Amino acid sequence: MSNSAIDVPSRGGFSFDLCRRNDMLAKKGVNLPSFRKTGTTIVGLIFQDGVILGADTRATEGPIVCDKNCEKIHYMAPNIYCCGAGTAADTEAVTDMVSSQLQLHRYHTGRESRVVTALTLLKKHLFNYQGYVQAALVLGGVDCTGPHLHTIYPHGSTDTLPFATMGSGSLAAMAMFESKYKEGLTKDEGIQLVVDAICSGIFNDLGSGSNVDVCVITKGHKEYLRNHLLPNPRTFVNAKGYSFPKKTEVLLTKITPLRERVEVVEGGDAMEE
Amino acid sequence: MVGKNCFAIASDRRLGVQLQTIATDFQRISKIHDRLFIGLSGLATDSQTLYQRLVFRHKLYQLREERDMKPETFASLVSALLYEKRFGPYFCQPVIAGLSDEDKPFICTMDSIGAKELAKDFVVAGTAGESLYGACEAMFKPDMEPDELFETVSQALLSSVDRDCLSGWGGHVYIV
Amino acid sequence: MTKQHPAWSPYDNNGGTCVAIAGADYCVTAADTRMSTGYSILSRDYSKIIKLADKCVMASSGFQADVKALQKLLAARHLIYQHQHNKQMSCPAMGQLLSNTLYYKRFFPYYSFNVLGGLDNEGKGCVYTYDAVGSYERVGYSSQGSGSTLIMPFLDNQLKSPSPLLLPAQDAVTPLSEAEAVDLVKTCFASATERDIYTGDKLEIVVLNKDGIHREYMELRKD
Repeated sequence: MSNSAIDVPSRGGFSFDLCRRNDMLAKKGVNLPSFRKTGTTIVGLIFQDGVILGADTRATEGPIVCDKNCEKIHYMAPNIYCCGAGTAADTEAVTDMVSSQLQLHRYHTGRESRVVTALTLLKKHLFNYQGYVQAALVLGGVDCTGPHLHTIYPHGSTDTLPFATMGSGSLAAMAMFESKYKEGLTKDEGIQLVVDAICSGIFNDLGSGSNVDVCVITKGHKEYLRNHLLPNPRTFVNAKGYSFPKKTEVLLTKITPLRERVEVVEGGDAMEE
Repeated sequence: MVGKNCFAIASDRRLGVQLQTIATDFQRISKIHDRLFIGLSGLATDSQTLYQRLVFRHKLYQLREERDMKPETFASLVSALLYEKRFGPYFCQPVIAGLSDEDKPFICTMDSIGAKELAKDFVVAGTAGESLYGACEAMFKPDMEPDELFETVSQALLSSVDRDCLSGWGGHVYIV
Repeated sequence: MTKQHPAWSPYDNNGGTCVAIAGADYCVTAADTRMSTGYSILSRDYSKIIKLADKCVMASSGFQADVKALQKLLAARHLIYQHQHNKQMSCPAMGQLLSNTLYYKRFFPYYSFNVLGGLDNEGKGCVYTYDAVGSYERVGYSSQGSGSTLIMPFLDNQLKSPSPLLLPAQDAVTPLSEAEAVDLVKTCFASATERDIYTGDKLEIVVLNKDGIHREYMELRKD
């Protein structure tokens, strides 16, 4: 890191310069940090006039829930959204990256993005990294060629399906879809089925939990229903609250006043001539 | 932890190599600007490197934009720096806490590869993370005033740290 | 002989959390009722608390097959004790028996993490906490299982007991009333359930006092 040019806002791409050191540390017995995963239930289905995506909102790190209300339905384009499962950082980064590429593409062509464009960009990236970028995605959207729903696996393979599930709760959710899905669902039926599938994941899979997020995309319109259903409120709160038997011993107090902010007045009184 | 128009960020003071304690007055929390703090737990060399890179980037931002970074912007910056090292990460978990221009508190934590976790109540990181989750979950109340917030944060920190062999020796608490 | 798969293990972890708190004339023992393996739930209503004697209950998390075997063994030993002595075993005696039973299998242990709650010979609450191979200690409160790391700091904070090294020895029992202790347990579990994926569904609380045994239940998150 002697070259200061390295610290200048970077050119993009991953940096591997700590890999050797980390390997050495791992061999010496330093335990590597664990990554945040979204052991997730994410689903999507095609209904009569568009696509509905759904997700739970739990993020886990091993057996501990580290975020009870995270967002797993990511924005890709105004008419395309994407649910992510796997390592949280990867799903976040990969969808952000592709959504910015789509935005640039829209500026360039002046047309609405197509779902296949997003699909190709995503699978190209994931295939390049041979599965090391651990993102399992459900991509859905409506473009000029109609509604589309795809699943993308971490290695870069893709499926095109009328209904799809991913993540640790995928089996529980798929069970609901397999038993109740039919072609030409109405919007309300579609939302209800997605909610049922997510709830089945939430309750039967320990990696999924908390609330239900739903996103409905139709031709020229979208509806993002954040926390559509809150099936898991906290069960007990002590009415009296708790006091602390032993007060904290304060060793030293230092008060630093915040710097006053300078008010800039635009177009104030003109200076005298 | 978030209170009413205020936030608290706290850490213990132990610096150790595995089970051996090196220092008992280590500063883990650093100031970025008056209303923005970052706590870095993990490998000390990485914490310091990352902190220096962050200060450098923040100064560049100040020079270019003639203003301080918003906490949200800063969190994205940290996340980007961490994710760049996706396959050879810094051994470092940051906790970011800041006050926006409208005095709205913002808190956020990340894993070592920059997966942001934004919460409305409290965030934790480090070796005593599990204990802290338990303690904060039981003690947190919404909309606390600064004094009460201080007491709650300190109590949560001290009782969790007592159950973790790798942390201890009291704590630093900042209330903004 | 059939060849065994190299990755096969005789143990599993079924998760779950147990808490016990001793008071002046009562003892509260509690555990959640979820039994799980990996990412799936096996049962939402599986009691982890068993009554071993009139004034002694045990809550165990870990591998429930081992727990079941342990419970059966203790019940058999208790029956023999009753035939030989014509009385119920006391809680401290049961504590020692449990320790011996666990240590007997030192090199192929019962994979169970137990807390024993009950009333001692003077009618005071007592809690014994164990590791899997029989090391045990009488304490004022304890927590074992998957959510114990989340619950323990809060119990420390609320019920800080005097050091066992102090002379003269001080009483480890908590100053709370019975109702307060039950409320404390409920808060502990509600908090642990928020953050631990293996704890949930339902909370079973067993209160032991001079009037006998009293059981109550509270719903927990089911996700």
